[in-house]
Amino acid sequence: MVGVFVGLKWRLVTSRIRATRGGTRAALIVGWCLAVVALGLVVFGLVLLRSRPDAAVVAVSTLFSAQFLSWGLAPLVAFGVDETVDPSRFALLPLRPATLQRGLLATALVGYLPVANLVLLLGAAVALSPRWWMLLLAVPCAVVQLILCVTFSRALSTAMSGLMSGRRGRDLGVMVGFAVFVLYMGLSWTLNRAGSSVGLQGGLTTVGRSLAWGPPGALAALPSRVADGRWAAAGIGLLTVLVALALLWWWWAAALRRSLTTVPSTTEGSAPAHASASGTVAADVTGTMWLMVQRDRVLAWRDPMRRAPWLIVAFLSIVWPLLVIRGAGAVFGVVLAAVLAGTQAGNQYGTEGSALWLHMVAFADRMRARGEALGHAVFALIPGVAIVVVACTVLSVIRSELHLLPAALGVCLGALTGSTAMAGYLSARVPFAARQSRTSMFAGSIPGQKARTAGAGFAIFGAGVAAAVVPGLLTVLALTTNPVWGWVALVVGPAVGVAAILLFTRAQARTYLARTPEILAVVAVGDRS
Amino acid sequence: MCEHPPSAAPGLPQYPGAERLVESVAGQALALRGLTKVFDGRTVVDHIDLDVPAGSFFGLVGPNGAGKTTTLSMVTGLLRPDGGRVVLAGVDVWADPVTAKTRMGVLPDGLRLFERLSGSELLSYIGRLRGIDAATVRSRAAELMAVLDLADAGTKLVADYSTGMRKKITLAAALLHSPPVLLLDEPLEAVDPVSARAIRTVLTRYTQAGGTVVFSSHVMALVENLCSHVAVMSRGRIVAAGVVAEVRGAAPSLEDAFLHLVGADDAGMGGLQWLGSSSG
Repeated sequence: MVGVFVGLKWRLVTSRIRATRGGTRAALIVGWCLAVVALGLVVFGLVLLRSRPDAAVVAVSTLFSAQFLSWGLAPLVAFGVDETVDPSRFALLPLRPATLQRGLLATALVGYLPVANLVLLLGAAVALSPRWWMLLLAVPCAVVQLILCVTFSRALSTAMSGLMSGRRGRDLGVMVGFAVFVLYMGLSWTLNRAGSSVGLQGGLTTVGRSLAWGPPGALAALPSRVADGRWAAAGIGLLTVLVALALLWWWWAAALRRSLTTVPSTTEGSAPAHASASGTVAADVTGTMWLMVQRDRVLAWRDPMRRAPWLIVAFLSIVWPLLVIRGAGAVFGVVLAAVLAGTQAGNQYGTEGSALWLHMVAFADRMRARGEALGHAVFALIPGVAIVVVACTVLSVIRSELHLLPAALGVCLGALTGSTAMAGYLSARVPFAARQSRTSMFAGSIPGQKARTAGAGFAIFGAGVAAAVVPGLLTVLALTTNPVWGWVALVVGPAVGVAAILLFTRAQARTYLARTPEILAVVAVGDRS
Repeated sequence: MCEHPPSAAPGLPQYPGAERLVESVAGQALALRGLTKVFDGRTVVDHIDLDVPAGSFFGLVGPNGAGKTTTLSMVTGLLRPDGGRVVLAGVDVWADPVTAKTRMGVLPDGLRLFERLSGSELLSYIGRLRGIDAATVRSRAAELMAVLDLADAGTKLVADYSTGMRKKITLAAALLHSPPVLLLDEPLEAVDPVSARAIRTVLTRYTQAGGTVVFSSHVMALVENLCSHVAVMSRGRIVAAGVVAEVRGAAPSLEDAFLHLVGADDAGMGGLQWLGSSSG
């Protein structure tokens, strides 16, 4: 039976490759080659550690623990990417839970990621073996580490499968994804700031040593403990691993039995939503615009997939310039967040998915179409302007560059409004489907629409950059001649962008009304993904 | 010679000799002339002509793939026809979509709603988007939700609605502006009996008040029971249309007449001699 499961997973993996064609397949192969090179470099680094046994044990303990944690988080963030993670897909097969569990373990070990992990672990095994005979211990430890990770990951995802197949679980996954992103950026920032400080190194060593007593760390420390004759420590470590493995296996079995015999009820009892008391009516362009802003606000507040990008933009607006721009002018780094904020007004009809029909049967006049376009733009501009103003002010205070503030605000607001204008127009000109079932935070564009998605993305970025050119030139003047040009940039930047929005929304409304059925046909594809 | 209606925008589907079409179909709630759709060289809807009398309860029936959803999508403006014209309540749907939208209520099959709005919020939003003042929207929405047995689910997100509840809230949204014509694609598909009864009662009351209902369905007993008129579609064409009794003719039931019309009298027959002949 294990062979059948391995065969199934192998077919799933290879069918994804067979489904790709031409350029996509070439890009996939190039991506793999790059990944193999990156993996090779990491393994090479690990092998070099072999000459420093103390550092190797600390580093590999940390690596094993991080790997263990990552395997736990992966299905939470990307549930649905691997079809064999969801046990409900196997519920109708005439299999005993024990057989199914062994089969699922086998499927979890087949694929690119398990193979890449195994290669990494074998590199770690070499690092843990300053004497070659220790490989006899280190290699089995590496294999057990992979089984430990897989068992933990599958136990956790099975226990949460009911939740993850529902709306709330996927919402949770999005927020966990955001938390992981913030954690990564925070860690990267801390390490950057600390540089080679001895204190930090000492702290990391202490953490690494403590981790050596946890199940993954104990596996990393086992060969050195045996080699040094620290039999008690080796015994305790081995016992920790065996107990952890047994407990995880038992947890997985229990969760599997539960998920196969009970019906999830996670979509019941939704968060209470209260009827809107607003009296705004789409009687004119302004009324339609505010009606749209109110609706977008409610949807963004309730939908993590719409909220998460705003959190990322707000976070990047301050952290990214601090991380990347060490010298003067960090405040201009906010321009990236400004363009990203503008992109939030992008693919307006794709975001609605097939629910666009509700608008299509409600109106077909230019007044409402323009009000709708303006509403989406204003909804992106309100938080966008707030983020840009706060980030520019905070950064100019932190870096003592208050004299650059007016020009930076001009550049950033110009980029924000410019990208918002282009994002809105392209929503009608180049619509693309957005995945509506959202089984994964990292699921990419819809097959067959990748070029369209990428094209729209580049064009929006390009428009943001183009809109920032005039205030950018005025900034150069401010820095080289007279600071008053900074204030001119502050007026000209947003003015150009707002004019572009007013102009582009007209074109957007015209295009939308002329192509509505075709737009629906394109964006409705997202329902099935 | 092909004559185009003067109000038609470039690129809209046309119909030969159609400049007087709107006047000639006065009294019909819906008139289709030469309606055609071709997907990848395959004609899915093949030059359909159909008249739906005002005030009728009109069933559009046909096997899967007959072209019912495609036809209704073209009538509601969700899918652009490759040819032909659609006149709804005296308005050409594709030449004057702005007026046409005010005269139709739509319930499509299989399309999403704004999932993160509650039922009441969805009705409030759609009503105000149609330009109805907030107080009227509020009172109509409350009445519709009460009649459709959705009052308790008003604050629940649409994402958490069952199939029956989704059909009912969509029907409420279709009725909110009190249109003269309702176009419903499979309104009772996968709906529980209680919700089905509520939907049927509301639709019957609507036609009794002078409204016209056009709905597609597979369930012949339902169509025979509810409808005054019926059209049978098969392979993209209308093979019979008229008053239910006329279409049924001498057949014992509408289902028998339907199976005969679509050439499926012997459906499920032949083969399977092995079935039940052994235990192994």
